[in-house]
Amino acid sequence: MKRKFSRRDFIKLQAKYGLFMAAVTSGLYLPKIGIASAVPDIGVAVGKPEAATRAAVDLIGGIQSVVKAGHRVLIKPNMSFARSPEQASNTHPDVVKTIAAMCKEAGASKISILDHTLSSAKVAVQMSGIGPACEAIEKNMVHPINDANLYTPVRIDNAKSLTKTDVVKEALKADVLIAVPVAKSHSATGVSLSMKGMMGLIYDRGIMHRLDLHETIVDLAGLLKADLTVIDATRVLSTGGPGGPGKVIPKDTVIASRDMVAADAYAVASFEWYGKRFKPDRVRHIRLAHERGLGRADLDNLSIKTVKL
Amino acid sequence: MIRFRQSVQLLFLALFLLLLTAASISGISMASLDLFLLMDPSLVLLSAISGRIVLLAFIPALLVLISGPLIGRVFCGYICPMGTTLDGTDALFGPPKKKFFSSARLTGLKYLVLIFLTASALVGVSYIFFAAPLSLITRAYGLVIFPLVSFISREVLDLARPLGDWMDLGAITFAQIRTIRFATQFFILLFFATVIGMAIFSPRFWCRYLCPSGALLALVSKSPIVRRRVSDQCTQCGKCARKCPMAAIDPAAPETTRHSECIVCRTCEAVCPEEAISFGIRKRTGMLPTGGVSLERRQLVSAGLIGAGTAVISLTGLTSLYGKQGEGQVRTPGLVRPPGALPEMAFLSRCVRCGECMVACPTNTLQPIWLKAGLPAVFSPALTPRRGFCDPSCHECGAVCPTDAIRPMSPLDRIWAKTGTARIYRRKCLAWEFQKSCMVCDEVCPYDAIEFLKEEGSKVPVPHVLEHKCAGCGYCEHFCPVQHQAAIVVTPMDALRIEKGSYEVEAKQKGFQLQLKPKGRGTAQPEASSDANQGEAPGFDPP
Repeated sequence: MKRKFSRRDFIKLQAKYGLFMAAVTSGLYLPKIGIASAVPDIGVAVGKPEAATRAAVDLIGGIQSVVKAGHRVLIKPNMSFARSPEQASNTHPDVVKTIAAMCKEAGASKISILDHTLSSAKVAVQMSGIGPACEAIEKNMVHPINDANLYTPVRIDNAKSLTKTDVVKEALKADVLIAVPVAKSHSATGVSLSMKGMMGLIYDRGIMHRLDLHETIVDLAGLLKADLTVIDATRVLSTGGPGGPGKVIPKDTVIASRDMVAADAYAVASFEWYGKRFKPDRVRHIRLAHERGLGRADLDNLSIKTVKL
Repeated sequence: MIRFRQSVQLLFLALFLLLLTAASISGISMASLDLFLLMDPSLVLLSAISGRIVLLAFIPALLVLISGPLIGRVFCGYICPMGTTLDGTDALFGPPKKKFFSSARLTGLKYLVLIFLTASALVGVSYIFFAAPLSLITRAYGLVIFPLVSFISREVLDLARPLGDWMDLGAITFAQIRTIRFATQFFILLFFATVIGMAIFSPRFWCRYLCPSGALLALVSKSPIVRRRVSDQCTQCGKCARKCPMAAIDPAAPETTRHSECIVCRTCEAVCPEEAISFGIRKRTGMLPTGGVSLERRQLVSAGLIGAGTAVISLTGLTSLYGKQGEGQVRTPGLVRPPGALPEMAFLSRCVRCGECMVACPTNTLQPIWLKAGLPAVFSPALTPRRGFCDPSCHECGAVCPTDAIRPMSPLDRIWAKTGTARIYRRKCLAWEFQKSCMVCDEVCPYDAIEFLKEEGSKVPVPHVLEHKCAGCGYCEHFCPVQHQAAIVVTPMDALRIEKGSYEVEAKQKGFQLQLKPKGRGTAQPEASSDANQGEAPGFDPP
């Protein structure tokens, strides 16, 4: 377990240094891009779902910086509810599909798109549109994971309260974890974004409610730390989340970051929630994650690059 | 000929299992999945009597009864899955150590069983589940064997998963076999094992001496047109009588046949050394006496009285809902029936406890109960939300019910078929008692029947059930993170149990507003949802 993640961290580190070195040495053919702005911490693209997804990921170094040839990739969208894409309870199928396509282009050997659904599994996969959309890229990628046999118990080091949990086996086998949540409100945690979304990869969510939801979300993010986060804000479920129905605000935005906390923080700050504006630190699990050093929620100190398509 | 019969038997058993399997696959809900149940003469006749109903669906049983005077008990010998199963298990037991049982008095026992059941059915109490062969066998295959098979396939699948992973077959790595579990399984097994175990006395002990459907068919098969014929070549060696699995041949007079006992298996024809036996249309000549069974009138009357008496005693039980319910509220607490279940008395008089509804239920929430609601309710289905929710868009149980004890209904009406009402146990609730911001019940409720309000003295919003919007589907109870007994529980209160008419009309009359949260289009306008009330932003910390 530990080794697995340190390897991933190592790959991440390598990629970072690689990019850094590339930026330095490529002064010859990329003279206008400075070192600091070479790879922003957060990439934001405004446009149609597919194009915006590609653009946002390209802004932060492209999918190749995360997915290498032969990598086994786990994509975690929101597809828990028997709701249509317009209702914004699930990730937009085109965003998920595009990420899957990009991973495939980068040479991923195996792509799994998994979520532990709340609604009946088949209905959720169908109605979310994610199942049918991804069929077009490759068959047998999208799976609801509602069977206890698909999980294995894992200890979470450095956890404050969720010290062990049953996590889907694929999460331990995958080389790369990509979080692709939809931007939505959540009546217990304020918002449900990439960190909250990781609850879809474990078996027993009930215990997180019984302990302390915010704290256990951060514990879980320590275990399931996405290598790439792509938040689908093509439309935002501003009230009534996580299941909806609620107020859906079209935003045509996709946010990408290598830092889960930064992506979540940016999403909180950028949109209206329950008719108001919030700073990211008003969401306790984002604040805690920042404090524990899982990522950065201090948006003022981060480099953010936006493109409009 | 025996090979031929065995092939036909296996074919029908395969069809029976195929239909049962099809019932278990959600999405398949043909009207004919309960075909075998509807072919069972006693099951259908007794249901018609106890439930006071005649359904068009009863035609198959009628055809089986009509077949009696024409071709004898061919149904027993060729079609009945119970008969086929017993032939198989009898073979495992081998021939009985002692001499075959062939008491004529015992042969009459099945008629007494039939009379017992008929008398109790006339009173309005259905004890069919004790003895109707298709009720017994469907229940055994559906609620004991089917979970066993699914368990084993699941384990095999788990072993195959690494292989699938290695071969990069996502279909295997993430394949999920529904885990099915049932309550009362050992009691169901006990019934079944008893029937099978009687092979130590004689082959087809059940069919010979106990089966009420066998009795009904025997009554109409005294002198069938197509029958066993014995020619003059017969040397009265008696081999046929010794080999007959039904003891339909008198060893003292092997040229005679008790046609009411004969299931046309044609074993006698195969074993006869003189080739004196054939099966065909009866000849005028050579009509031999059909040594029937004579039961004393006293026995018949006793069986009837005992049956009626048992039924009446059942109606006087504490949990019985017959007539006026008497003082107090003695309805079985927590007994939530499936959507569309008839009013309790009518429901119990029609339900044959075949278990088809429970096999068909995609969430496994339908479970058989044992003595919780008295003997007349044994093996009847009940919702068990902790196991699974009852999907408001699903009505597979009603689609497969052979006697419409669970009424079939349109998908639109289904939404209104209220099964009960959820109640919150505040002392167990994470929000009410422990001040945790939990909202799972609201998150999962398909009817939007949970409202979270900020109460005075409470840090977090706390849940309330909007009873007029609650359909008792059990999503909340199922997903409630509180362990063991949930903090929100579906009770049978206000369940709509109507014999006819639309659930929508009935519900509206009672002031219920049962509507699913909108599914199709998104709601672009702000929702007047409970979450947005009072300008609160739930889940965010104060500044």
